Amino acid sequence: MNETTRIERLFDAFATLADTLVVGYDVVDLLQTLVDYCHELLAIDSAGILLANTNGALEVVASTSEANQLVEIMQLDADAGPCLESFRTRVVVSVPDIDVGSERWPAFTRTAREQGIQSVYAIPLRLRETTIGTLNLMRNEIGELNGHDVRAAQALADVATIGILQERNVRDAIAIRDQLQSALSSRVIIEQAKGVVAETGGVSMDAAFARIRSHARSRQTPLSVVARQLVSGELRL
Amino acid sequence: MTADPFHVASDALSEFSGRVTDLARPFVTFLPVSGASISTFGAFLGPETVSATDDRAGRIDELQFDLGEGPCWDALSTRLPVLEPNVADTAEWPAFTRAIREEDVGAIFAFPLALGPLEIGAVDLYSDRPLTLTLQQQRQTLALSEIVSRILLRHAIADADTSHASTFSRRLVHQATGMVLAQLDTTPEDAYLIIQARAFSESRSMREIAEDIIERRITFSALPNEGTP
Repeated sequence: MNETTRIERLFDAFATLADTLVVGYDVVDLLQTLVDYCHELLAIDSAGILLANTNGALEVVASTSEANQLVEIMQLDADAGPCLESFRTRVVVSVPDIDVGSERWPAFTRTAREQGIQSVYAIPLRLRETTIGTLNLMRNEIGELNGHDVRAAQALADVATIGILQERNVRDAIAIRDQLQSALSSRVIIEQAKGVVAETGGVSMDAAFARIRSHARSRQTPLSVVARQLVSGELRL
Repeated sequence: MTADPFHVASDALSEFSGRVTDLARPFVTFLPVSGASISTFGAFLGPETVSATDDRAGRIDELQFDLGEGPCWDALSTRLPVLEPNVADTAEWPAFTRAIREEDVGAIFAFPLALGPLEIGAVDLYSDRPLTLTLQQQRQTLALSEIVSRILLRHAIADADTSHASTFSRRLVHQATGMVLAQLDTTPEDAYLIIQARAFSESRSMREIAEDIIERRITFSALPNEGTP
């Protein structure tokens, strides 16, 4: 992608994220859009977002691949890894070489390395005093993320965070927590819906998820609503 | 206004939190039968009379286990109610009917206890006089049997620690739940219970079973025996 195209696509990304923020948007959908754009626009190989649940533990809510290995890596990261550290310290954590300092989070490093991941960049999803989760960017090579990508990723993460928090008074911590928890809970139904489509359509989980998302898009229906219809049998894809 | 006995029984079972030994009682509160018993047997749970309203109901169960024949066996293998309104006339189960002759049983009925592919057991009902169950009574008994099936299943797997797991493996279990609910045309709750039961019966984790389902090494169909009505 040349620089002009990249900048244009970046504008598209902001426009789409802003669009997604209209009333009635779906948090899971918004965050999925965010990781997809990161994947497309930044020099990274995979990305994911984790949100804090009501117990304050981080859970994967969106990822560039539905492949279970990637989700597992991020979940290990949430237990002990750069992403947890970024969430706790509320600052960016850059790990240009996961082998350096690997004793700090051995399970994460081992699993990530097995999947070819070499460097990680974790950005807190934060607005002033409120941190709701982290955006994680992963690369299959050693090295810092370049300056452009750092700024673009930060800006995309900020837009999404502001979007999620804008509806609520930021001081209304309980309302925010409930909203995030409901996004995480809707993930359960989305997983079930993927299973339904994988079974009835004879396709992989990734393909099932793509089908569900594209249906939600084309009908302008929140992802969680489509998922619920699939699970209850009202809808077949 | 008096409450409908079926709804009273159904509510009692739906909110059931007591001992499984009390499970047979609701059946005699809304049906004109003399006694009821509930037993587990089949491929999944070991043969056991779980609950009986009286000694005779317990003996009827026991005889069928001992003899390897009787209405409860037929009910579970066909997944259909077995109705014998007049035991004196029947030519079925010669050993069993001979054995219960001394018991003064006029009518005997058995309803299957099953959930999706899982065989759980049967509800046996008897009357000391010949008796015909109406279609509505049969339907109601089937509805209660379904509730009892879930209670027995939950009870059986309650002690087995199959559900603790990380968030990540939950995700696989949710995907597998979706596949199973599509395979069996059932609810997410039942599909989850079926995965849990499979894990329990094979002493494996739910995550392992979920992986097998996702990789299509395990598929469920509603009836284990082909050609069953």
